[in-house]
Amino acid sequence: MDSLFSPEEKARLARSSVLLIGCGGLGSPIAYQLAAAGVGRIGLCDMDVVDISNLQRQVLHYTTDVGRLKVESGAAKIGGLRPEVEVELHPVALTRENARDLFARYDLVIDGSDNFATRYLVNDACVLTGRPQVHGSIFRFDGQITVFHPGSGGPCYRCLYPTPPPPGSVPSCAMAGVIGVLPGFVGSLMAMEGLKLLTGRGSTLNGRLLIYNALDMDVAEVQIRRSPTCPICGDNPTIHELIDYELFCGGVGE
Amino acid sequence: MSLTEQEILRYSRHIILPEVGGRGQKRLKAASVLIAGLGPSGSAAALYLAAAGIGRITLWDPGLVTPADLEAAIAHDRHRIGMPRARSAREALAAINPDAEIFVLDRDSDVAGAVPEHQILVASAGDWHDLHQEAVRYGVAAVFAATHGATGAAFVHKPGEACLDCIPSEKAAVCGLRPEGDAPSVAAAAGVIGVVAATEAVKLILGTGSLLTDRVLCYDGWEARFRESPVSRRHGCTTCGVE
Repeated sequence: MDSLFSPEEKARLARSSVLLIGCGGLGSPIAYQLAAAGVGRIGLCDMDVVDISNLQRQVLHYTTDVGRLKVESGAAKIGGLRPEVEVELHPVALTRENARDLFARYDLVIDGSDNFATRYLVNDACVLTGRPQVHGSIFRFDGQITVFHPGSGGPCYRCLYPTPPPPGSVPSCAMAGVIGVLPGFVGSLMAMEGLKLLTGRGSTLNGRLLIYNALDMDVAEVQIRRSPTCPICGDNPTIHELIDYELFCGGVGE
Repeated sequence: MSLTEQEILRYSRHIILPEVGGRGQKRLKAASVLIAGLGPSGSAAALYLAAAGIGRITLWDPGLVTPADLEAAIAHDRHRIGMPRARSAREALAAINPDAEIFVLDRDSDVAGAVPEHQILVASAGDWHDLHQEAVRYGVAAVFAATHGATGAAFVHKPGEACLDCIPSEKAAVCGLRPEGDAPSVAAAAGVIGVVAATEAVKLILGTGSLLTDRVLCYDGWEARFRESPVSRRHGCTTCGVE
């Protein structure tokens, strides 16, 4: 088997589209690497501006970008690498009002967000629109990565965690800290999974969750399954509409 | 070495971690890393090491930026095609972190000769044998990492631990633990391995965590699988000299 994407696979990438939620720690390597691979259309969704405390890990942004919208800074870097990639900027908060329409315009959603409110919204919107999703999260020295593919028989985020944690129970990056290299690892893996989903090449992490610890340089794999009692993708779903959690979930930005 | 007010803001997410703290951030600032290879893996390693606050970084690569690099190596930019890779990467690193001192070695310079002036070597290209010999001789910790296509491997040598030559060649070959050539890789897979290298360099500087000194870490991007291959000091190794 070819060690790189074949010409047909590259053509498929050029015809495909990805919505990247978050242009921060995880979004940084993902944006570079999707562009490098020649994904035809990349939507960047992030309403934040670059802060100096981002630069220790968010390599998509330069020091002169401080104060600039992250989606604009990200589009400039993508253009520097592959100007033929069409970049769409969505400097908006993802909400129950806009998520379904936005997701319907892309083949794949990659969730590089940093808070539970967004993770649940992304998951639910992916299930309701039938979009596959690459999921990743980071905390201090730990990371998790998997793929959720509605309709494939695999699980969704709510199969693992049916409801969000109580408000204020989870510290943000600002409170807990994060080693700068961590999102580089997790985000790169996420990008690779995204490219495989778009091309159909290889085996993705659908049904497998990778658990990474940077201090131990250890990667563990656990099997994850669809839950028949899942409130959104189970046999008798109870969730049919999107829910905005941020009001009571303490969804703080990075 | 102290941190400025700006640096305290910039590295606040590090400083708040007990494993780093102000002390660890000062260590990163005082550290020097030689990055040999700014292709697929080295590009990712370099961006993250500059962002993390390594004070002095020296860059070397034998090649020029080509259009194919833009599919594989994220430290480059289409406006820098034809430029030596090390010089091209320097622009990206300096833009991310203008506080870092970044030096560039000429493409045809003796990169192995620069090893003793650094605390850590991160090698993804070049003549690993020469680089490794110098690292072992001068007690410089070395991170070896490379990606070929969408698979890659990483290994760390620390003085007193197994060296690259302790690894049986067939074991290194299985994982692809060999320098990157000019064949392009999948940037995302190279990002995984390059960031592993940067992570190990950061841990070496901080003096924390469990390193890839007794194992080779292998990643297969097509299958999303990691594998570890144990490594121990080889009796009679002529490089690190265990009798």
